[in-house]
Amino acid sequence: MLLAPALAIYTLFAIWPLIDVFILSFQDWNGINENREWVGLRNYYHILYNDPVFWVAFRNTVIWTIMSVIFPPVLGLFLALGLNQNLIGRAPLRAIYYLPVIIAPIAVATMWRWMYDPFFGLFTQLLTNAGLAQLIPDWLGDKDVALYSIFVAYVWQSVGFSMVLFLAGLQSVDRSLIDAARIDGANRRKIFEHVTLPALRPTITIVLVLSTISSLKAFDIVYGMTGGGPAQSTQMLALWAFTQSMEIFNYGRGSAVSVVLLTITLAIVVPYMSWSQRREEDAQ
Amino acid sequence: MKLKTTLCSSICAFLATGVTASAEGLTIWTINYTSDKQVSALTAAEAEFEKLNPGVDVEIVMRGTDEHKTALRVASGSDTGPDIYAYWAGLGLGGEYVQAGMSTDLSSYYESYGWGDRLTGPSLAFSEAFAEGKHGIPFRFSGEVVYYNKGLFEKAGIEGEPETYEDLKAAAVALKEQGIPAFTFGGTVNWHVMRLMDVILETTCGAEKHDALMAMELDWATEPCALEAFTEMKWWTDEHFLKPFMGIDNRQATTLWFGDRAAMMLEGDWHVPTIDENSDMSKYGMFAFPTGTGRLYGFAEYMYISTKSDKADLAAKFLDMFTSDEFQAAHIGAFGALSVNKNVKQGDDALELHKEWLDVFAAADGTFVNGDQAFPLDVTTEYFRVINELASGELEPQAAADAMAAFISTR
Repeated sequence: MLLAPALAIYTLFAIWPLIDVFILSFQDWNGINENREWVGLRNYYHILYNDPVFWVAFRNTVIWTIMSVIFPPVLGLFLALGLNQNLIGRAPLRAIYYLPVIIAPIAVATMWRWMYDPFFGLFTQLLTNAGLAQLIPDWLGDKDVALYSIFVAYVWQSVGFSMVLFLAGLQSVDRSLIDAARIDGANRRKIFEHVTLPALRPTITIVLVLSTISSLKAFDIVYGMTGGGPAQSTQMLALWAFTQSMEIFNYGRGSAVSVVLLTITLAIVVPYMSWSQRREEDAQ
Repeated sequence: MKLKTTLCSSICAFLATGVTASAEGLTIWTINYTSDKQVSALTAAEAEFEKLNPGVDVEIVMRGTDEHKTALRVASGSDTGPDIYAYWAGLGLGGEYVQAGMSTDLSSYYESYGWGDRLTGPSLAFSEAFAEGKHGIPFRFSGEVVYYNKGLFEKAGIEGEPETYEDLKAAAVALKEQGIPAFTFGGTVNWHVMRLMDVILETTCGAEKHDALMAMELDWATEPCALEAFTEMKWWTDEHFLKPFMGIDNRQATTLWFGDRAAMMLEGDWHVPTIDENSDMSKYGMFAFPTGTGRLYGFAEYMYISTKSDKADLAAKFLDMFTSDEFQAAHIGAFGALSVNKNVKQGDDALELHKEWLDVFAAADGTFVNGDQAFPLDVTTEYFRVINELASGELEPQAAADAMAAFISTR
């Protein structure tokens, strides 16, 4: 009974929109007409077979997700290991590395867009001053470079988040086990491999799941930096769903893209979490 | 005594609040404008209407272009939204809302206020184009031409303004020989580079075929003039654009143009106040893109009264004031060289390039609209993509034409 108000709000703002998007994916609706025409699987057929952008967005989302579960967590882990030592200025350093996380992604996008300006941007100036002007790429305008340029900005912003989770995880590593391993003659690498890393397993699971989810729904930083361009080459599934719905105003196709994205997310996250939970239970 | 004073103050405050609460609100949604003069004109409209109509509270909400489009679409699915909304008048934009019944038929207001007699013919062309009756009222009619840097033209030995497309290409080659890129465009906003494709299509296809292509009545893949247009477009983007351009927007391109980094820009008459506010106008000249058809490249912006508004009379009164002789004369040049009010003309103190614009408008033999106004939104998105792919060297002209045709046939 006590849960009822929360459940009602959750149903209204989370469950019902989810159901509505699912229904919309089988309909043709432009946001203006009162009637939504039932079109069966036509929206899915269109995005899978006739849409010249869907598969580009799909490929980019896959690349982005793979990079996102590798680079920010690995860098975050190294930063956490470093900042877990007794360093001078450890607290300010932790704050500095975490700072980008609290900046709105759209502000990060604006900032990095200026740094990437091909004429006056920071990177262009640095390379020009170093005599490497001929190596300056069109950071956000070259199809082969743009996605990775955005990803660098994303890493800058998100690495602090992984770092904080790993720092929290490192506090749970039993100090006596490390001391025991050291007495047994284990070097730093062995201690990390056989004591620290196994203790961090639950944290790693959380970081990877959160990284996967946030990367699959990557939107704001791409929207702010390139809007999916040039020539839709940095489109992501989440952004393409938005573009179809809120810029082209084809809510049916936008919803179909959203449902595909949700399905992919569930297909990755649910088995991984269940496997990881089983592994933890076995270990215990 | 103190209690009485407090009580009296409370009652007065309550009454004052009551008076404020009963003020009639009029909400207008429009896009952000870049020039200070344009923003000032809108602010003045708000103040003046409130002054003329005591008790009316006008709220003008300005948003970025995409945000404005999205907000309007979201509002159209709900019971809230503006009383008046500003929108581009083409089929793919304002026309869609008219066809969907989101615009009030203003025929009775046209008659009672005499708007038909007051407003210019070309600007009114869209009011009856998409549904029965009269929808929206033009507040701005814009043309787009080539602005050029006189000094850079002189440096390249170009004498006189290009009168034919071949002249323009020869000028581009002469500029290149001096190491000067002919054009600067910003690729991130899509519609900036699109302008060149639009005028090239008009050049290679002529008026009739161009219109048929934009109406999707001709096959882009097999129509030779479409292929020729893509081939020409590639020539320009490969050889005569200030690069890189795909990673910058139109404002950055404008900054580079003011910095003498390229000779020409394809911009609208709204560009004149921008030049006036940022540079020395005597440095620049302008000429209509030599398409050979004589049609002016441009579009109209309208203010529509929403069918969801219960204040249509008040909204119409505002539109009447906004397009009145007095208001238009007071803000002449703010939204472009030409007022939509035929009784209002630029004076001798008009900006030099605005005076040239009057000749361009006078000489125009019809108009053709920007691609993103002619196409439905999904085709516009594909048109952008194809042009950008071509401009990036990722797509050959025939493949670009094929891509357009394929998209149109399967949409």
